[in-house]
Amino acid sequence: MGPDGAPGPAVPWRKVLWERQPFPDNYVDQRFLEELRRNEGIRQYRYWAVVKEAGFVGQQLSCVAIFITLWLYMEQGLLSPATLLCTSLVCALLGYGLHQVLSSQVESCSEPRTHLADLQSAAIFLSFTFGFSPVLKTLTESVSTDTVYAMSAVMLLAHLLSFPYAEPSPPGSLSLNAALFASVCLASRLPGALHTFAMLSCALLVFALWPCLLQRLRENAPGQFAGVCVGVCVGGVGGLGSQSPGGAVLLALALGSVTLLCPLLLVRLQRHKDNIHGPWDEAEIHEDLSRFLN
Amino acid sequence: MVLKIFFPQCCNRADSGLLVGRWIAGHDSAVVLAVIHYPFIPGQVKQYIQQMQAQSGVELSVLGSWSLPKEGQEGMESFLRDLSTIFPQERWLQISRQMGKMGFTCEILNRGQNGKAAQRRVKKEKKEEEVDSGEAEKDEEEEDEEKVIFVHYEQRKVMLSQLHPIESGDPDLKTDPPSELRQVFQTVALSQPLFFLDKYDDGPLKSTHWQSEGREASIIVELLKQASVPLCLLLSWMLSMWTWLCSIRIFSLYPLRFLSTKLSTCVQLSYRTEHMRTLSSPKAAAGHTQFMRKANMLVSVLVDVALGVLLMWWLYRDEHIAMLANTLVPAADHVAKELEQLLQWLMGAPAGLKMNRALDQVLGRFFLYHIHLWISYIHLMSPFIEGILWYGGLSACLGLTFALSLLSDMVALFTFHIYCFYVYGARLYCLKIYGLSSLWRLFRGKKWNVLRQRVDSCSYDLDQLFIGTLLFTVLLFLLPTTALYYLVFTLLRLVVVLFQGVLHLSVDFINSFPLFAIGLRVFRPYRLAEGVKFRVLCDEPGVALHLLMERAFDGRVVQPMEEAA
Repeated sequence: MGPDGAPGPAVPWRKVLWERQPFPDNYVDQRFLEELRRNEGIRQYRYWAVVKEAGFVGQQLSCVAIFITLWLYMEQGLLSPATLLCTSLVCALLGYGLHQVLSSQVESCSEPRTHLADLQSAAIFLSFTFGFSPVLKTLTESVSTDTVYAMSAVMLLAHLLSFPYAEPSPPGSLSLNAALFASVCLASRLPGALHTFAMLSCALLVFALWPCLLQRLRENAPGQFAGVCVGVCVGGVGGLGSQSPGGAVLLALALGSVTLLCPLLLVRLQRHKDNIHGPWDEAEIHEDLSRFLN
Repeated sequence: MVLKIFFPQCCNRADSGLLVGRWIAGHDSAVVLAVIHYPFIPGQVKQYIQQMQAQSGVELSVLGSWSLPKEGQEGMESFLRDLSTIFPQERWLQISRQMGKMGFTCEILNRGQNGKAAQRRVKKEKKEEEVDSGEAEKDEEEEDEEKVIFVHYEQRKVMLSQLHPIESGDPDLKTDPPSELRQVFQTVALSQPLFFLDKYDDGPLKSTHWQSEGREASIIVELLKQASVPLCLLLSWMLSMWTWLCSIRIFSLYPLRFLSTKLSTCVQLSYRTEHMRTLSSPKAAAGHTQFMRKANMLVSVLVDVALGVLLMWWLYRDEHIAMLANTLVPAADHVAKELEQLLQWLMGAPAGLKMNRALDQVLGRFFLYHIHLWISYIHLMSPFIEGILWYGGLSACLGLTFALSLLSDMVALFTFHIYCFYVYGARLYCLKIYGLSSLWRLFRGKKWNVLRQRVDSCSYDLDQLFIGTLLFTVLLFLLPTTALYYLVFTLLRLVVVLFQGVLHLSVDFINSFPLFAIGLRVFRPYRLAEGVKFRVLCDEPGVALHLLMERAFDGRVVQPMEEAA
């Protein structure tokens, strides 16, 4: 029924504006609501699938925790920089091998990076970090420690918030930069230049390279991905627990809520989703326009 | 109808005679310029007037007669009336004045109607008018309405005040006929030849006007006028030599030319050269503005030179130069010491600021070394400073402005280290800000698109991001140190610039202050009048209106004649 309730004249109403019709412009007939569609193209989430996806968020949180743990160890002198460097090197080599294996399984990648380019990047990282580590060491000397901590916390939070969880393989600029800034701030508090160097290398490993590897893992070996995530989470909680049990409890709570509680909420609340579509929507162009663009 | 008669104040007490002046066409007013006294031969008067007319280009004529009866000169009325037949005019004014009365009496003889001289008496006695004749005249007044207004003006002031800019080349003004007052002013200003006849002249005619008591002139002015021509020639010859010297090729080479635009002495020299060129041009100034500009220039040059000579007199007396030179080196030392202390303070923790210690030390040592270099330079120079001052002081004979410019240049040279500090600090700061702004874009994953002049998002490589962030962190933490150095040295530079600015300001003040115009305004204000105003001298019923024309500065030309009419 139209808003004016006009009596049906002999001429049938047509939904066109270019013809003069004996109806007001805002007239619609009874077929109006027939075209109503609800929740179009909705995906029914299953709880464990959502948990698996949320595992990425949880493991990123744990990565930050692991990094902080490492820094705490370094600051207290419990971990020598040489050990950390060696471990990092081994991890990096292992990860690189794994990455190559995973990449070779699927050759869909356009233009895979050559080994030479990888070597070049690694050389740049190492040389710059090594060259800058004395500078970075003295950089925040005069800034008070609280300021440095606050800055690092804000930056790590920014890293977590702006991390591209859906597609982490080319690392998001802001997230990576924030993480690096935070690690530079933290590393400059360490006692020696070598400490700084080791810490920065570790940061590079954790924040820049690890998400790439994990993304590969998620694509090519979904079974192992879940295990790795759980392993990282456990490692993070355990590591933090060795330094501050309170922090570990908090981290565990956060991980639980992120990976278990939030997906549960999402799945529960999905029943209430009521999304309507109809002829009142904006026009969508379904035609393939690519031939016009070229 | 109101007849306006512009009457010169100097003729108030003139002996009886003929009124010479001009009828202003279309405005029903007359300007009286002079009075020619008895005895005269009418032919000679006519000849004289024609001669004057040819010289001045003003339509002069005999307006009427003037009588101021003294003892033994009674019974002249009829004689004066007869004169009108000798000098045929459309209207014949008979102005007379009684001794002891302020007002004038004016009779107008109109010969318009068939040769029958219609006589109208207009009354204008101020006081003590006889009752019976007054009544008779009243009757006549009722017959024809013609009234007379006397506007008294001071001939000399009207002549010299530039209130008749008819020669201005505005084509719009030419279409409009000039206003009445403007014509009056023009008439008076143009009829200068009429005023050359004074009472010491042995000619057949005697007249009264503002110069009739003796021509106003000064021997000094006349001598200067005579001397100015060869002086100008000499000056222009010297100027041409000087410009030829300046245009030698070696001076137009890059470093010298650049230097000459930076040294305020050179700038002042070229400025003064331009002044002297204007002053020594043989052409007379065209127009009032041009004349004022030239006179201002001349006066400023003269004052400048006088002040400079005064300065020289002070400098070369009692060994003041040696004293100055002896205080200059310790002063430079003192400044350097203060700077060193400032740098030491900066190298510590100035004002509790969080500076980067390493960079702070590097910068501080760099600047300290610079100061050290500077001090040794000053000490190397110290034996020559007295000579430089002695010869530099000689430039004061060209004017105080030259001495001040030289002082400004010397200050610039002596504080060169401060300038260097400023440049280093500013360059470092600029680089840092520039780098930070572009790295901040990288930090956010953006870049500056040069082609579209906007910020675009961009996906960077991992190594680019890493190095960029590293540099960003370094620059960000070093920024306060650089900013502080920049701030301190900018302030120092500002002090020097302020001092130089005061010097330049005073130089410009001397160069361009309109001293001549101010002198005129104080001593001869009528020369710069913007208009006239009228004051009522005597306005009583039955007596003609007497107005006094005075100069006005507010630019309003008041014309109360319409109101009076």
